[in-house]
Order: sequence, then structure tokens, then C-alpha cells
Amino acid sequence: MTTMNNSLDKPVAAPVLAAKPAGAPMLAKILLAALLLLLLAMPGFLSTSLVNAAIQMLIMALFASAFNVLAGQGGMLSFGHAAYFGIGAFATLHAMNAVSGQGLLPTPLLPVFGAIGGAITGLVAGWFSSKRSGVYFSMITLALAELLHALAPHLKSVFGGESGVPSMRMPAWGFTFGTPVEVYYLTLAWVVASLALLFFFTRTPLGRLTLGLRENAHRLKFLGYNVHMARVMVFVISATFTGIAGGLLAMSNEAANYSVFEVRLSSEVVLNSYIGGVGVFFGPALGAAVMTFFGYAVSDLTRSWLLYQGIIFVAVMMFMPNGLSGIVAWWRASKFTGATKLGYVLAWSVGTLLCAAGVVFIVELLQRMLSDDYQFQLVQGQPWPALNLFGQAWLPGAVVTWLLPVALLAIGGVVLKLTSARWQALNDGEAQ
Amino acid sequence: MSMQNTKPVALSLRDVHKSFGEAHIIRGVNLELTEGERHAIIGPNGAGKSTVFHLISGQFKPSSGEIKLGQQVISGLAPEKINHLGLARSFQITNIFPKLSVYENLRLGVMQRFGLQFNLWRPIAGFAKVRELTEQLLEQVRLTRHRDTLGGELSYSEQRSLEIGMTLASDPKVILLDEPMAGMSREETDYTAELLRELSVGRSLMIVEHDMDVVFSLCDRISVLVYGQVIATDTPENIRNNKQVQEAYLGTEVAA
Repeated sequence: MTTMNNSLDKPVAAPVLAAKPAGAPMLAKILLAALLLLLLAMPGFLSTSLVNAAIQMLIMALFASAFNVLAGQGGMLSFGHAAYFGIGAFATLHAMNAVSGQGLLPTPLLPVFGAIGGAITGLVAGWFSSKRSGVYFSMITLALAELLHALAPHLKSVFGGESGVPSMRMPAWGFTFGTPVEVYYLTLAWVVASLALLFFFTRTPLGRLTLGLRENAHRLKFLGYNVHMARVMVFVISATFTGIAGGLLAMSNEAANYSVFEVRLSSEVVLNSYIGGVGVFFGPALGAAVMTFFGYAVSDLTRSWLLYQGIIFVAVMMFMPNGLSGIVAWWRASKFTGATKLGYVLAWSVGTLLCAAGVVFIVELLQRMLSDDYQFQLVQGQPWPALNLFGQAWLPGAVVTWLLPVALLAIGGVVLKLTSARWQALNDGEAQ
Repeated sequence: MSMQNTKPVALSLRDVHKSFGEAHIIRGVNLELTEGERHAIIGPNGAGKSTVFHLISGQFKPSSGEIKLGQQVISGLAPEKINHLGLARSFQITNIFPKLSVYENLRLGVMQRFGLQFNLWRPIAGFAKVRELTEQLLEQVRLTRHRDTLGGELSYSEQRSLEIGMTLASDPKVILLDEPMAGMSREETDYTAELLRELSVGRSLMIVEHDMDVVFSLCDRISVLVYGQVIATDTPENIRNNKQVQEAYLGTEVAA
């Protein structure tokens, strides 16, 4: 009888999206609205170079979100997404040159060609690669992207050779599109609209089916689904929005050459997405924004940015496999008070920062010691001269030079270890 | 026996063979499932029972022979095509979407009925009929209170119920269940047998099962598969008394 009653009022009262944990949707909406307001207001108080960095962050955030439709939602890890990004960029550039922002296709609408380029390439590549799954799928996407990468320098008429394809943003709708701020708002509009569509997609039947593809494609066949067709559709959607991201980069830079097809871009989107966390819709966008900002902020200060990027990825995968956005899920899932959790988060952060400081110190020290400039100063039989780091002179032969980073690492490690042990004990105590 | 001949045939296999390289696993199987019938396939391990299901459901293509669903030849068709024609199956090893909720597991099955595979312009929540049928199915397999639980977090027997629910989601005329009670306790088996009795009303059911109590009480007819061939098809009563069957299968089972 109770089950009967349940079934009668459930359909009305139950949340429609059963898969989503029902929790603080109001708060999420407020946060999103606040973020959007911040993004709208940002050019008012940012320097030009920061506005340019923000444009890059937005583009990479869209790229990662589009990639995640395939990888995180559909369970198909593509190692070749630079291909669709690059095609989107060139398609947009050629469109810019062909119509020069006139007639029915003014400048702000031109990334549509990026979408079309991405969709067509995605259809072809998706058709072949999604005939296989798992590692084989990944390998085919990698091979197809590398094929394009190898071919692009030879197709001068399409990809413009080393100098690339240049273009100009033409004025339209009363905007000149000559300043970074205008480009920022154009990019923001496209990225927000694209993310909204991608979010809507997760709510549609095909979006739900995408999760099924990730979970158990074999079972779907016996539920009556054409799995290959579904995979191709998801691939095309991912490639389409990736193409838009590429188109936006082309509009922002007013040029591109074949280096956009480099495998480095393909791997960057993978790393960004996983650092942000592929299990949450906004995770990849968060990861991409954070990492792009770091790249911007740090690349002037160090030559080892790629190394740090790798270290961050490995550390996140080892200690936070759900990525940065996993923290939100962790916060919600844990039953302790906010103050308790905040204390642990702070302790973990302090430990992480200490370790990071130690690692950065060692990396920068080694990088300077091994540089050609420094090696030329060495004289046989003489102690190595002091080198300059963080505004201080450090002797490579002195114990303190090495003791400091090691101590930082050790203290950070102990803090992390103790915090984790206490957290474990707290949870064990709760479980009993 | 004459009565069965007058009933329309829901599913039939004619001289079906299947070889994997040198291994000749299915060696001329003839089977007939009449409409509304509950039909069990029994046989020793390795007789090819699951392979027969794989052949019918499109997982494998038969090497030769013909499989018909009603009047339609289905041998060699893709699994999704066979599903569209009204046949669904469950799996011996639980085959669900472990990280999706129970509700979502069933909804994926129900959704397909409405041809929504490629719909990406309307939220799924807007399809009232899908919701209604999914809720109904939840109730039928008695999982309503677990609607938001992840499939992988259900108990084993609940997962088997979910598996049956998913099989029914496309509203098939013919259902194939591969050892639905495997690994269940006595109570769970009785519970599931009751569930099957209810859910198979108005459909034709073919079931592979090792639990002889279930087979003999639930099914109208039993086919005995030994070394890739059906050695007998008859009512439970007659199968029990069949000398050949006793020698080939039941005898050894009892002795063991």
C-alpha cells in the first residue's frame, strides 16, 4: 500500500532529472549569475593584456567543454581534438576573407563557419573512429589529427604555409572590433551561448543517451539503439563546438597557421579537462580557465611552464582524480560542518603550497644551473658561482641552497600526511 | 500436442548452426516458441544455451539456418534491428548502466520506444509519456523506492530485477532471459519467479535457467539442449519422465 501511494504522488513531486543529485540548485544559479555579471564587468577594470588573457581563457573553456561532451559524457577519449579546433579556425579565417563582414554574414556571425567546418570534419573523423571504442578509438583520433598536422604544411593554398592565413575583423553592427574589449564581448557572447546550448544538450534524449554510451554501449544495442550512429552524432556535436572555439581564436588573433594542428593543443585540452574534472559540466571549463590563466601569468616568469603543467596534472590525477570540481562534490557529500571542512581545506592548501614552493625552487634552480649562459661561466677547478633566484644569490655548492627546498617539501609533506590521517580518523570515528 | 500447433509461432529456429573456427558449438538447433508461451531451455554447462540466445538476439550471426520472429527472418540482423522488431533479452552477467540511477537505466530503455535516439531539441523531462511509462516500469519491477540509487549500488538481486525491467522497457513481444535467478537465494528466487509470472503475461518468454524448481513450475514447455542440439521439447511432466533426458542431463545433475 505504501508503495502504491509513493507511486501515485512521485511523478508529480519527483525531480525530473533523477541522475543529478538534488542539492542547492538555487545556490548554483546565483553563483552562475554572479559569475556572468563579473565576466560582463571585467573589461572595466582589467588591463589590455589581462583582457587578452581573458579572451584566451574563454576560448579554452569552450574548447574543453566541447571536448568533454565526447570524453567525459560519452566516454570517448579523443587525442586529436586540435584537428577540429584548427579546421574551425581556418574555416572562419577564409570566411572572414571571403565575405569581409559584408551582407548577410557580418563579422560577429562568422564563427558559424568554424562550427560548420568542425561539424563536417567531425562527421568524417567520427564516422571512422567511432567504429571502434576504448584505446582503438583514441588511437584513430590521434592518427587522423596527426594526418592533418602532417598534411597542413603542404596545402599552402588552404593553410597558408608557414606564414599562415591572415585576415581582418571588419566593422559591423556599429562596432569596429578593433579593440580587445570588443573582441572580448564578442567572444563572451559566443562562449556563453555555446555553453548554454551544451548544457541544454545534456538534458535532451540524445544527451542522456550519451551517458549510456559511456556506461555500457553494448547494452544499448540490445535496448534498440544504433550505437555507431549515436557515437557519430555525439562526435559531431563535440567537433562543432570545438570548431566554434577555433573560430573565436582565429577572430581574436586575425590569423592562424598550421601550428594549431599540433598535438600539443590536443593534449592540452585533455589535461585541462581532467584537471578541472570531467564528471561535472563546468569542470573542464574551470580547468581550462585556471590553467590558461596560470600559463599566461607564469610563462613570462619561467621557461618551465610545460613541466609545471605536467606536474599539476600528475598531482591532480593522483590525489584528486575527480579534478578541481571534485572538491565541490566532496564538500557536498561530506556530513561535517562547514567550519570543520574549511579547516581541512586550509590545512591541505598550506601543505600543497609548501610542497609547490619546494618543487618550484628545485626546478628553477636546476633550470638555471643547466642553462647555457650559466654553464659558460664555469671555470675548471673553481666552485660554481652564485646564481640569482627570487631576488637572492644562491651558491649551488652551499648546503642551505638545497636544504631550503627539501625542508619546504618535507614540511609540506608532513602537513598533508597529518591532515589526511586526521581526516581519515574523523571519518572512521563517524562510521562506528 | 495438437493444440500447440494451432497457436501462432512467436519465434522459431530452423536447423541453426554456429561454428567458432573449428569448434562447432551449435549443431542444428530447431526450436519453436508459440505466442504467450513460457518456454525454458535447460541443459548441462557448455551445451550452448547462452550461444543460442546470442544468435537469436543478434550478438552473433548464425553460420547457417534460419531464425524467424513471427514471420520475419531475423538471423544475421543487428541487435538494435531485432529489438525494434519486438524481441528483447537480458544477460547472464548483470548488464546495466552502473553509474546511472535506476530511473535513468529504465528511462533509456523506455525512451527508445518513442524513437528519441537523435532528439536534441527538447528536454527529456518534457516527454510526459516517457516519464509515466518509466514510473510504471519502476513499480512493476518493485524498484520505486530505489529510483535515485545508482544501478551499481543496488543489491545483487535488485540488479537482476533492474535487468529484467530494462529488458521489458522496449515493450517486446518476445523476451529472452538468460539465467535471471543465477546466484540468488531461495527467497530471492521465489520473488523473481513471481515477478516473471506477472511480467510475462501477454508476451512470449524464453528462459535459460538452472533452477529446476523454477523451470518446472513456471514454464509451459521445456527444451533440452545437449552438445548444441535440442534432444527433446515437451511439457515439464513429459520431460521429467523422458529416459533420454534423464540420461543426458537430469540424471547426471541429480547424481552430482
